[in-house]
Amino acid sequence: MFKVQFIPMVLATLESLFTEGIRFKELVKHIDDLAYKSLNIIVVCVSFAAAVTIVEASFHMKMILHDDSLVPGFAAMLIVRELAVVVMALLLAAKIGAGIAAEVGQMKISEQVDALRLLGINPFNFLVLPRLLACLLAGVTLSLIANSVCLLTAAAVSVYELDQSVTYFMVAFRRFVVMKDLWFSVIKGMTFCAVIPLVSCYYGFRCEPGAAGVGRATTKSVVSSSIAIIVIDFILTYIFSHFY
Amino acid sequence: MTIITKNLQVLGGSVGFFIEIMSSSAHTFRNREEVFNQTLHVFWQSLLTTGFAGFFVGAIMALQFTLQMEVFSALSYLGGLVTSATVREVGPLLIAFLLSGKIGAFTSAELGTMKVSEQIDAIRCLGADPIEEVIVPRFFGIVLASFFLLTVGLMCSLFGGILMASIFAGIPWEQYIRHVPTIMNGFSLTSGVVKCFSFSLVIATLCTYRGYSVRGGAKEVGEGVVQAATQTMISLVLADWVSSLILEELLNV
Amino acid sequence: MIEFKNLNKSFGDRQILKDLNIDIPQGKIVFVLGMSGTGKSVLLKNIVGLLKPDSGEIWVDGFPVHEMSEKQMSQVRKICGMVFQQPALFDFIDVYENVAYGLRRHERLREEQIQERVVESLALVGLKGIEKKWPHELSYGMKKRVSLARTVALKPKILLFDEPTTGLDPISTSRVNELILDLSRKLGTTSIVVSHDMKSALSVADHIIVLDKGRMLSQGSPTDMRNSSEHLIQEFLQEV
Repeated sequence: MFKVQFIPMVLATLESLFTEGIRFKELVKHIDDLAYKSLNIIVVCVSFAAAVTIVEASFHMKMILHDDSLVPGFAAMLIVRELAVVVMALLLAAKIGAGIAAEVGQMKISEQVDALRLLGINPFNFLVLPRLLACLLAGVTLSLIANSVCLLTAAAVSVYELDQSVTYFMVAFRRFVVMKDLWFSVIKGMTFCAVIPLVSCYYGFRCEPGAAGVGRATTKSVVSSSIAIIVIDFILTYIFSHFY
Repeated sequence: MTIITKNLQVLGGSVGFFIEIMSSSAHTFRNREEVFNQTLHVFWQSLLTTGFAGFFVGAIMALQFTLQMEVFSALSYLGGLVTSATVREVGPLLIAFLLSGKIGAFTSAELGTMKVSEQIDAIRCLGADPIEEVIVPRFFGIVLASFFLLTVGLMCSLFGGILMASIFAGIPWEQYIRHVPTIMNGFSLTSGVVKCFSFSLVIATLCTYRGYSVRGGAKEVGEGVVQAATQTMISLVLADWVSSLILEELLNV
Repeated sequence: MIEFKNLNKSFGDRQILKDLNIDIPQGKIVFVLGMSGTGKSVLLKNIVGLLKPDSGEIWVDGFPVHEMSEKQMSQVRKICGMVFQQPALFDFIDVYENVAYGLRRHERLREEQIQERVVESLALVGLKGIEKKWPHELSYGMKKRVSLARTVALKPKILLFDEPTTGLDPISTSRVNELILDLSRKLGTTSIVVSHDMKSALSVADHIIVLDKGRMLSQGSPTDMRNSSEHLIQEFLQEV
């Protein structure tokens, strides 16, 4: 039997990057599958999340300062530092996390993983590594896209809902958000996106036979990666707070 | 274009399914015991996840707001602001995301498995209506349980906020709590409750719908779970936006 | 007892059953043989209304199944017991409740009567005293037999088997075949068995129908089959 533990799996995957290299054909397939095909849903979801944030922030500002002129600045800050990447990562955890766990689990229970090993192909190099690299790429690009989309929506909503000008939004944005924020945001995005394929492949490799087994593997991978994302977010936010 | 028609199909399908559930729910109230069992089952199964997530969401919010508030030296408002923002908006959404992952995945996996292992067909052959016997108790179980879970999650986020504020910003808990009532009024609470309720309806409808429409084998069960999780999340964000707008119109004069 | 007239059924643009005419007499064991994907299971599911035909008529014990609603189908399902390809036991209740499931819905019985019927049906399939076990504690062969007991508990006039021996070892296979024979004789039921196991068919069936690509290729008694010159039937016979 092919038993997998989490840490040895991660190490073996990284090791195979140096000993066996990257399978570019697989990599391209997964970039299309994991990164590109998640674009739509992320753009839609984060833009709505940003719109709600502006509306809610204006409510709070009016209550404390009796004035919502600071809303764009605060909202932009909250979006770049927190909202955009976390919402993106949780969406990805559900979409690609469940997808990977189902796919790998299906391969495991139909004995395709064992067949790969018999053919002398390292399953970590073949299955895990391309997904990991594709997700890292997705982490960088999608978190940049998520941030821009969020900010665009936020600007649009503050123009239409709060009657502020685009220039005002840009000025407030420049005052509140610094370049550092964007770097931290991308680092967060990358870390979250590295966690998803590793956790999902792990549960996929441990999938038990039958439809019920595949169901359990996908459930576990979605839950564990979401929880991991929230905890890692907390840790990274705490670490980054020392740099301000 | 196809993505729009596909999503409209899902929307139409789930609304139709919701109506079907509602129309068979009337005489399923004799099945109260089963609904109660399902509620407990879902509640216990997800309690830890939700509490944990809520706690960290609260802590993260407190951390971020501390950084922002320090600039304006308005730290005394921290408690009220964090609590209000978490209860009204960020908390319900993020916790509902977690719940949709957890409840959504296991419900659609369970129903999908029942479908592909011919259990649903067997129920029909043995003279029962699978919607009444299996879907309705699960539906109401999920609605009730996720409502309670969201409440528990929000309470945990309050604790997370208090803990983080006292460790990170050095604000004692009495001071943190003191400003909660000034900012978090009945309206915040109402909108939080309304959002939680609409989210639990969304989660329950989509998960049962996606699970019940699985056909095929183990592979399709996996795909069903993926679809359930993603479509629930999209619908949650949309429901969040819609309920924010409606609440704004109704209550915030 | 069961009659198909000009039955057609397709999924999308794939036609599964083409213009099928079959008449199944009462009290007989009829085997429907054919390769995988020739529409054997679809045929069974049409009888109990799990699938609806595109055109044609199905008459079951005088009921016009092709034009009945889901609610009305309950009368047909009460006399038609279906044993699924997979055990399809409900994993949220124990064996006792599984066997009693149909009794609680199709008939109004007192608890003692239900218990009597459950014990009786489990004894009939050779599984005494496992009422309190849960489905996941049973082996695959046992699950299939409990599933059979669940169907038999309703004392159906017609028994439908969807590949009852697929995935079973030779010993369990012959035990299930004996059960089918036994049940039909004891309860006087009409049985339709969908299978691709010619050996079981030859030993159990009164009548054999061979389907090929949704059409009836040939039918007759086991002896007729042995003497058939059809290529497909010859191939099936070589397996024996």
